[in-house]
Amino acid sequence: MDLIEAARGLIPVRRRVRIGVTGLRRSGKTSLLTSLAVNLLAEGRGVAALPALRAQLNGRRMRVAIPPAGASSMPRFDALAKSASLAADPPDWPKPTDAVSLLALDIDITRPGMFSALPQRLRLEFVDYPGEWLLDLPLLGQNYADWATGTLRRLETLPEARDFMGFVRGLPAGMSADEDLILSGHNLYVATLRALQTNGFSLLQPGRFLMPTPGDQPPWQHFFPMAGSSRLASLMQQRYDAYVAAVRDELSAPGFAHIDRLIVVADLLSALHAGRTAFDDASAALGLVARALSRREPLPLLPSWLQPWGISRIAFAATKADHVASRQRANLQALMARLTDTPARAVSQSFSIAAINCTEDFVWTLDARPVSAVRGHVAGQGVVRSYPGEVPDRPPELSDWAHPFLSLPHFTPKRLDPGGRGVIPQIELDRLLVFLLEDML
Amino acid sequence: MSETRITPRLEVENPQAGRLEPESLPMVLPTKGSDRGTLSMVAMGVGVLMAGLSALSIGNFVADQFSRAPWLGWTTLAIAATGVGLIGVAVWRELSFLHRLDDVDRLRADLANPARAREAAKSWLGTLPQAAGIEAALNATDSPDAIMALLRAGPGRILADEAQTLGRIAAGQMLAVTAAVPYPALDGLIVALRGIRLVRQVASLYGFRPGTLGTIALLRRTLLSGVYVTSANIAVDTLVKAAISNPHLQTLAGDVAGAGVAARRMVVLARATAAACSPLSAEG
Repeated sequence: MDLIEAARGLIPVRRRVRIGVTGLRRSGKTSLLTSLAVNLLAEGRGVAALPALRAQLNGRRMRVAIPPAGASSMPRFDALAKSASLAADPPDWPKPTDAVSLLALDIDITRPGMFSALPQRLRLEFVDYPGEWLLDLPLLGQNYADWATGTLRRLETLPEARDFMGFVRGLPAGMSADEDLILSGHNLYVATLRALQTNGFSLLQPGRFLMPTPGDQPPWQHFFPMAGSSRLASLMQQRYDAYVAAVRDELSAPGFAHIDRLIVVADLLSALHAGRTAFDDASAALGLVARALSRREPLPLLPSWLQPWGISRIAFAATKADHVASRQRANLQALMARLTDTPARAVSQSFSIAAINCTEDFVWTLDARPVSAVRGHVAGQGVVRSYPGEVPDRPPELSDWAHPFLSLPHFTPKRLDPGGRGVIPQIELDRLLVFLLEDML
Repeated sequence: MSETRITPRLEVENPQAGRLEPESLPMVLPTKGSDRGTLSMVAMGVGVLMAGLSALSIGNFVADQFSRAPWLGWTTLAIAATGVGLIGVAVWRELSFLHRLDDVDRLRADLANPARAREAAKSWLGTLPQAAGIEAALNATDSPDAIMALLRAGPGRILADEAQTLGRIAAGQMLAVTAAVPYPALDGLIVALRGIRLVRQVASLYGFRPGTLGTIALLRRTLLSGVYVTSANIAVDTLVKAAISNPHLQTLAGDVAGAGVAARRMVVLARATAAACSPLSAEG
């Protein structure tokens, strides 16, 4: 027992751990936060909802409560309302969040032996960091010219970007900085990003174009990628620099500062199913994020808890792992690990999780061969069997795309306790939580 | 990919089937063991012998008295029936108290259940004089969390304050008594007796009237909740200091070894008993 840790119990304040939860769009952040909150509350009531966490506590008891919001300016994540909608009949999946929100949980953990009267007091603060904004992190280490060149190269072949690319190519050399023209170009670019987002693309920058910060947009938010060295291009560069500076300032703001653990989630199974272009796009986005997170160097002479972006642990999680049988989840985890494999300052680990486990495994005999498959309930169809194919443990080769990979049914959650106050079945969420907190438990 | 790989498949297994049922998860809170220990069995055996042999003796004695004279028999029977009846009433009270103690757990479960929270809150409030005027607010709330917040801020707070007052009074008495008693060996006995009385006082506050067995059961329960209460409230020391704000008592607490510890135990015991008796114990 660490005496310093025990001495903390004497002080009637809680040690705050701020955990950012972010991820590519539609990857299940809302479900993850809901499941975390409900299952931690259930653990506090003595129900073995998170077995790995229970094993880590090694017999110590835990009390969990949602503290009052106080005078916080950040909206609260209403996990219990979302859980209630999951438990309703018919169930309703939680609506994706479209703003920053905070889920706070107070946790008291008893200590063994002579320190039993000095509990460990933690306040876990999960910050729902919008996935769109996550992709602004790579911009912090990139100048306008590099970003614009890379973006235009990527858009060249995409049908969704035809109008915008036509506009950019049609700009005359030495174009002056006309505000109406800039606004047209900006709107065309935002429309392109929205179309790409609708079609399942993830690498969409700048993120605040898709999810603006509240309030009126300042003029520097109106820019778009273009090549050349005209006065217009020069103004675009200035506005890009102002945008990057604003992102940097925001990361030091009270809401996001002191995030010292991070969960990055991505729905790789859907990306595999959507095809090569969507998968490559998701891979590129994840790789960029992983590199951006590894690049954040600590400020000299400041302890880790004072660093503006001093993340010490990062969990990369492939979500919706309940859509594949347990035998294949190791492959999904390995795939996630390969896509985010980058030398990092923080300790990182990959997981394949299902925040809300909707299925059960079974062995299905297909083409006279037994395969591991899943079964679950689909609204309007009853119980459905699904063999979604083999999940690769590495990014698929070009030839692999000739075969369809996966088809993912929209399973409904298992029956939950009325009101959603019970337990939400999960896969590997407990291990992820233990990884994030093991140095404090 | 090999050419023989199995293509993805999706098939309806049962169109009529409803949502899947989750696996039930075990509760891991301490549970009552079904195995009796050796001492318990010895105690039960002694109890059965005492009760059984006493009953037989009484029966024989009454029969013997009838054989001497009818009026003597009837008189003996009336005395025996009155005595046994009183014992029966006491046993009934103990058992009903133990049952009511289990009701606290049921009430806690109901208050945590959104479908039953409001009715559970009303049934609890019906037993409390401290609940006057809260029903209108209770009817206006729209969520179990709001109901719990209302109960905690209203009757829960009042009851906890009253329990705290009882604890402070006991703490002050402990300081005075431990300083006055000339034999340190008696300190432990005095603390134990005052502690039991305090447990019964606090239980009465919450609507219980425990007898001896009930107090033992409540003490066991209090010990469990005590872990949380002591751990959750470092402010106990402050309460003890408040309890001994009298300068004379402060001098005593400084001079008499163990007096402060005894006082502190009373405050903690009051809070732990309140936590054990309250369906809102999660507030700690």
